[in-house]
Amino acid sequence: MDEEYDAIVLGTGLKECILSGMLSVSGKKVLHVDRNKYYGGESASITPLEELFTRFGAPAPDDGYGRGRDWNADLIPKFLMANGSLVKLLIHTGVTRYLEFKSVEGSYVYKGGKISKVPVDQKEALASDLMGMFEKRRFRNFLVYIQDVKEDDPRTWKDMDPNTLTMQQIYDKFGLDKNTQDFTGHALALYRDDEYLNRTAVETVRRIKLYSDSLARYGKSPYLYPMYGLGELPQGFARLSAIYGGTYMLDKPIDEIVLENGRVVGVRSGQEVAKCQQVYCDPSYVPERVKKTGQVIRCICLMDHPIPNTRDALSTQIIIPQKQVGRKSDIYVSLVSYTHQVAAKGWFIAMVSTTVETENPEQEIKPGLDLLGPVRQKFVSVSDYYEPTDDGLNSQIFISASYDATTHFETTCLDVLDIFRRGTGEDFDFSKVKLDLGDEEQ
Amino acid sequence: MASVKIPEQKVILCGEYGVGKSSLFRRYTTNTFVTATDRQSTLGLDHFDRQYNVGGKEIRLQLWDTGGMERVASITSSYYKFAEAAILVFSLDNPASFHVLSQHLLDIVTYAENAKIFLCGNKSDLEGQSPQVTENDMEHFCEQCHNLISATYKTSCKTGQGVDEMFADIAQHLVESNRSRLELQSMDTESFKITPPDDVTEPSCLC
Repeated sequence: MDEEYDAIVLGTGLKECILSGMLSVSGKKVLHVDRNKYYGGESASITPLEELFTRFGAPAPDDGYGRGRDWNADLIPKFLMANGSLVKLLIHTGVTRYLEFKSVEGSYVYKGGKISKVPVDQKEALASDLMGMFEKRRFRNFLVYIQDVKEDDPRTWKDMDPNTLTMQQIYDKFGLDKNTQDFTGHALALYRDDEYLNRTAVETVRRIKLYSDSLARYGKSPYLYPMYGLGELPQGFARLSAIYGGTYMLDKPIDEIVLENGRVVGVRSGQEVAKCQQVYCDPSYVPERVKKTGQVIRCICLMDHPIPNTRDALSTQIIIPQKQVGRKSDIYVSLVSYTHQVAAKGWFIAMVSTTVETENPEQEIKPGLDLLGPVRQKFVSVSDYYEPTDDGLNSQIFISASYDATTHFETTCLDVLDIFRRGTGEDFDFSKVKLDLGDEEQ
Repeated sequence: MASVKIPEQKVILCGEYGVGKSSLFRRYTTNTFVTATDRQSTLGLDHFDRQYNVGGKEIRLQLWDTGGMERVASITSSYYKFAEAAILVFSLDNPASFHVLSQHLLDIVTYAENAKIFLCGNKSDLEGQSPQVTENDMEHFCEQCHNLISATYKTSCKTGQGVDEMFADIAQHLVESNRSRLELQSMDTESFKITPPDDVTEPSCLC
């Protein structure tokens, strides 16, 4: 450890592993350290099952759960958008070669106490039970507009310029009712609250296109999920970093980030000090440099059946838009199962999560839990959401934000690319990744 | 990939830092040898494919190196996933690197239950110098682990002796054991690798 590095990365969560990979590929000498014995930090998949029970202070699981090491339970539930930023990062860095994926089978939205399939094309819109007959026609016209509109081509705007009109104005032009606006904004554009209504429509248009382009890639739903769980993602980027010369140390406590004149010069573990120009880390390594901006509640549910009313889907996402249950932020339900090698044969893992709004967060996720049917075992966690207090340019300590309640990785990637830009002064050059040798499909 | 008709068989190298895993990897990829530990020469190299013909049947071995992650015992569990074979490598002139193999074996059976396991004593050019790991020690090890080891080899990356023979033999083992399994697998799962969207000429599904 007593060496000099360009950058030291602390924590092996997904964001830190992507950064570590990008820095190594860019020719930087990187030391990557985690205080835990395992990769992934908060974005790890916990295995074996006994470990999950221990983590939450529950008595050991009985024999009914099958073999413990067939389980890989995520701590943070997320899916990848098939055409989203993380998939682009995986492709451009070649990390996709370490992973295999499955399409998530169903995407549902909650309305009036029951769930319906999210309609995304004209055909599905017409068949959907979410809308009445006339509303369906209006929604179809809206979808056609979104599909055809190009931001920089006024001929496609049909007198509705998405760059100047707000989303609310666009909705009103099509005469969509509140209900349709609700599932469009939350289940297609994947907004967590309603602030987008008063911003220009262009961002929402992009988001709906991302949803439908993602859906077009593999069918069924726009979401992908990796075999063996999300914990495979940070590990893939860690390997990328390692094969480009990054040094890895797990199970290594960090005692101090050493500063000189307010600027980082090294990291101390016990008596050892590793020198460096920069530090990249998650909030848990620098409690004095982050501020708490909220809380997220997540409930892991082990079940021996799929979610009712989802046509026995082995993987599902359900979005409960805030207004449907009188809240300010959405509730998310996700389900994965033995078919993704994350649970023993016949078992399912559901996760219900949301941004905390009250003193009684467990009560807040009840509408989500009510959809699941009988749950064999429940693990509830409430975690603080931290953001860095500064941009790191003076201290050269670059801190990622905690993982938010969204069910996909779009915000995760934005944070990573922004940190990389701040740390290196440039955008990541994907052409530096060698994909030719030993990679016959290139 | 759907476009590759010959199945790739992932083969991983396991063992202590400095026993010659990257040297084996370099022999396999470019048939060269460098004396000093020179990470530069394999920097960015992830895995390498080589095709073998076993009794008229084509098979593609895909050899993976650790990327140096074993130096402080930080290999990812992903490294083992989907492996069809694992080569336990030790140095014939370093008994410590041999005795620690049981730990590596445990990792393999934990994370890659179905992998066939092979034992490889490297640096055979140093044979005759002491201390040494003997044939007896190797046999004893195989007995202790209940015949989990499919075959044992001695190689020298310095001279190249035994290296090609080892990989050819491993290819043979895999062809034999996979004959029935490959057919089973093809109907098993519909998971897939992500491919860049532009050059997809046919559905990129592995099923």
